[in-house]
Amino acid sequence: MKMEMLSEIAAIFSRWNTKLVRQPILIFFSLINPLVWFLLFTQAFSAIGNIPTFKLLTGTSSYITFFTAAVVIQTIASSALSAGIGLVNDLDSGFMDKMRVAPISKSSILFGKLFSDAITTVIQVVIILLIGLALGVHIASGVPGALMLLFISAAFGFSWSGISLFVALNTKSSQVTLSVGLLTTFPLLFLSAAVMPLGLLPSWVQQVAKVNPFTYVAQAFQTLIINGFVWQKIEYAFISIIIIGVIALGATILVFRKKIS
Amino acid sequence: MEDIIVVENLHKTYGKDLVAVDGISFRVKKGEVFGFLGPNGAGKSTTIKILTTLLEKTSGKATIDGFDVDADQSRVRRIIGYSSQDVGVDDDLTARENLLLQCSFHHIPKTQAKQKVDDLLQTVRLKDAADRRLKTFSGGMRKRLDLASSLVSDPEILFLDEPTTGLDPQSRQDIWDYVTQLNRKGMTIFLTTQYMEEADRLANRLCIVDQGKIVAEGTPAELKAQIGADKITIHFKSDDLSACEKAKELMSKLQGVEAVGQCGMGLAAENGLTITTKNGPSMLTQIVRTMDGAGIFMEQVNLSVPTLDEVFLKLTGKTLNVIERKEAVRTGRQRGR
Repeated sequence: MKMEMLSEIAAIFSRWNTKLVRQPILIFFSLINPLVWFLLFTQAFSAIGNIPTFKLLTGTSSYITFFTAAVVIQTIASSALSAGIGLVNDLDSGFMDKMRVAPISKSSILFGKLFSDAITTVIQVVIILLIGLALGVHIASGVPGALMLLFISAAFGFSWSGISLFVALNTKSSQVTLSVGLLTTFPLLFLSAAVMPLGLLPSWVQQVAKVNPFTYVAQAFQTLIINGFVWQKIEYAFISIIIIGVIALGATILVFRKKIS
Repeated sequence: MEDIIVVENLHKTYGKDLVAVDGISFRVKKGEVFGFLGPNGAGKSTTIKILTTLLEKTSGKATIDGFDVDADQSRVRRIIGYSSQDVGVDDDLTARENLLLQCSFHHIPKTQAKQKVDDLLQTVRLKDAADRRLKTFSGGMRKRLDLASSLVSDPEILFLDEPTTGLDPQSRQDIWDYVTQLNRKGMTIFLTTQYMEEADRLANRLCIVDQGKIVAEGTPAELKAQIGADKITIHFKSDDLSACEKAKELMSKLQGVEAVGQCGMGLAAENGLTITTKNGPSMLTQIVRTMDGAGIFMEQVNLSVPTLDEVFLKLTGKTLNVIERKEAVRTGRQRGR
């Protein structure tokens, strides 16, 4: 049974990879927004780095270095939140019914897609990091840190996608799925420590930021980029990723099984 | 022959009060082509989705080869193939990739899968287009590929939901030929259709469904017999009354003839001698032979048999044609219930 599931996931994984290779433009689609931010926002707000407490709180006086984490998160989130679109397309085209009639596990259908999306996310984050390097961002933790950053990105994308899959299965509408993605990413970003260090945020925002998973993922990225390996921050990131994953993916699998059987 | 599909008092209700299937019962024998004929919204797709484990039934019994469609889903899935109304193929992949993917869904080892896919592509005449992406395929090609993809597991029972809706006449003919071939090899086929001609051509037995209920069941011939006999009309050379009278006498003696009409002369088209019989086609040769023997010259002989259209009209009070025309206006995207 376990072996069968692995081969099912592999088949669905490679199907999505093939689709991605056939339409490589999709990799760049969700990169447009983060790139605009990376290039323009950091220029307009570069003075933030001159605030004395900023350097004290973050360890750098370069706002673009600090902001790289936010751009990476934005990239992961917008990529993850379009994960459901593929599912909606399969529901519309009748391909989903084809898969459901086959003797394969429902979870395989989801995990095959999620693993493929994780690959997309990693490619996108690599592009962002390369652009960052070109803009003068220095990664303090070096190549191992960059790899850790990519791993966290893949894991975060994997669990955050659960939300999109959940919305997609419940609404069966690509518009709604896309809107949920767009409407949640920005508020969550600005209500976290991704754009501004916690200490510089108004106190009510700090309260929200402390329960916002973006904060912990951002802080892990920030330490890897600015300070080096700070394991406690990385642990916190993984804990929040696991919590989201269990809730979002658990709910998705439940809905998927129910709707469909 | 044993019953491979058994459905008893099946109900499916959506939400609180939308009744899609309203207590239907039927049995399908192993090796037969069984048709479900009815307009859109009759409950055809709902029934096929319940039988293929895609939908949970509200109440009643439905088994495939003895396995309950809800309780033994995975067992049922191993022995069925399903081709849906909306063609379930991936447009970004090639025809071959689509079939290989289906093979892996059915856990067919790679070496076997390659050969199987080649054979299937050959069967549905897509060998030349095998490595083209589906974006360039016509509707008929996609449907043929979809049919092939439902066959990778060599299913015992094939479910076809409106297999030719929206297809051009040539593609329709192709699908009919494949279905006939598959059935000859022993595959049981359950198909839904809104086309009388299709049901008549393919199905050994069929149910006529309307508003979630079965309104009639039988072989196409039995159903047609329900609404009346065949009619044979003979026309003679203009105003040859004596020939007609002579023929009338001969015909009334012929075995199998139920009634012979009056010799009405005058306007040639409407008139002539009308003979009523149970089995028109086989009577035809007898009639010709008899007339020939008696030296009576016939200008024209017409045979009219009742159609399933008429059966449907009689049973439901409406014609399928009107419904078909109305449905045609809707887009092909609409998802069947």
